[in-house]
Amino acid sequence: MDELILATAECDLNENAVCAPENVKDLFEFRVEVINILGFPITRTVFLIFLAGALAIALLYFGLRKRATQPGKYQLSIEGLMTFVKDEIAVGIIGPTGIKYYPYLMALFIFILIGNVFEITPFVNFPITSRMAIPLFLSLLTWVIFVFAGFKRNGLSYLTDIIWPPGVPVFLKPLVGLIEFFSTFLVRPFSLAVRLFANLVAGHVMLTLLLSTAFISITAMLSGEIGIVKGLFGFAWWALALAIFMFEVIVILLQAYIFTLLSAVYIDTSVNVEH
Amino acid sequence: MLMHVFAQIVLATEEGVPVPISEEADSGGGIDLLLPAAEELIAGIIAFSIVFFFVWKWAIPALNATLAARQQAIAAELESAEKAKLEAESLLTDYRTQVAGAKEEAAQIVSDARDAGESVKADIVTRAETEAEQVKVRAQEEIDSERVRVASDLKRQVADLSIDVAQKVVGSSIDANSQRELVDRYIDELGGVR
Repeated sequence: MDELILATAECDLNENAVCAPENVKDLFEFRVEVINILGFPITRTVFLIFLAGALAIALLYFGLRKRATQPGKYQLSIEGLMTFVKDEIAVGIIGPTGIKYYPYLMALFIFILIGNVFEITPFVNFPITSRMAIPLFLSLLTWVIFVFAGFKRNGLSYLTDIIWPPGVPVFLKPLVGLIEFFSTFLVRPFSLAVRLFANLVAGHVMLTLLLSTAFISITAMLSGEIGIVKGLFGFAWWALALAIFMFEVIVILLQAYIFTLLSAVYIDTSVNVEH
Repeated sequence: MLMHVFAQIVLATEEGVPVPISEEADSGGGIDLLLPAAEELIAGIIAFSIVFFFVWKWAIPALNATLAARQQAIAAELESAEKAKLEAESLLTDYRTQVAGAKEEAAQIVSDARDAGESVKADIVTRAETEAEQVKVRAQEEIDSERVRVASDLKRQVADLSIDVAQKVVGSSIDANSQRELVDRYIDELGGVR
């Protein structure tokens, strides 16, 4: 509840329909040090990042631990998830060489998925992927991997084919080359990071504002600080928040999928050059 | 009253108790959100690296081993099923041949029995006929011998009777010579009968 309280601390329900902090940053920055381990500050967000990693490992470990020939529902779901990333993303997009990138794509998918699920997890209610550190780091990692793979596979022609693309009329080559260069090396990592980040930020803002306004309205109505009509608005916000909650379930799955898929697509364009 | 509590919490954090890590300007608005916080970046790098190594070194080999074992198990299962099927088929053929053989045998037995019955019946009939014939012959013989015996008996009785009657009739009226003559002739006649 701390984040809700911080977000809506100065809320005056007689003036505002929806409670919002003066600075949107207040919904995302929990940089209050909870504990300090060897000089490294463990904030709530840092803790959640480590928790996401631990959960990702636990999810896979308990799914595959028994290696049963006749798997139960849980083992089957984990196997299904892993074979989905392998068959549909790694091998499906990149082709047979995609198996090399499967561990990275799998780790990416499960880590982002859990980071996203934190958005709608009770008592957590905070997606770590809405902190730029995570999407940025992961998209830069994808960038490093696809650039490295491109050079390793095609040598220097990887770069020259982008700057001076073959199969394009000569007078267009400089223009197309410039666009390609920017889109491949500058726009890709940025768009990849921002897509995930912005989606989760938006979802978190909507959910926290609506839920905290609903909470404050209803409690204020019950304590007689505001009228019943205003208080009933709280229930409306609550209902709206539940609808958005359902919507966010889709966003959470979709964004984890899209990030992983685009990483595979970028690696594919580096490894299998045909443009 | 609720608002009081909120205000106190906000005051507490603003006064720096507990201490915020960085003193970024509050006027920054949303742009601060686009800049990664150092400790979160480090945490992200560490956490993701651990997840990556776990997936790479444990989860994927575990998945592959599980799937391979399952593939093997299913293949073995199919093979044994195939084997069982073949065995069942050969058993079925065996049984079918056996049943067919048994049917043939049964038919043979029945026909044998019928033949045996026929021959027994013929035997009995023949024997009965022979016996009947013998009985008939014996009866005829008995009848014949009886007739002979009865005839001889009758002759003797007639002779005796004749003598008696003759004695009574003749009595004293016949002299001794004619009596002897008559008797002799009579005896001759009887001898002729005999």
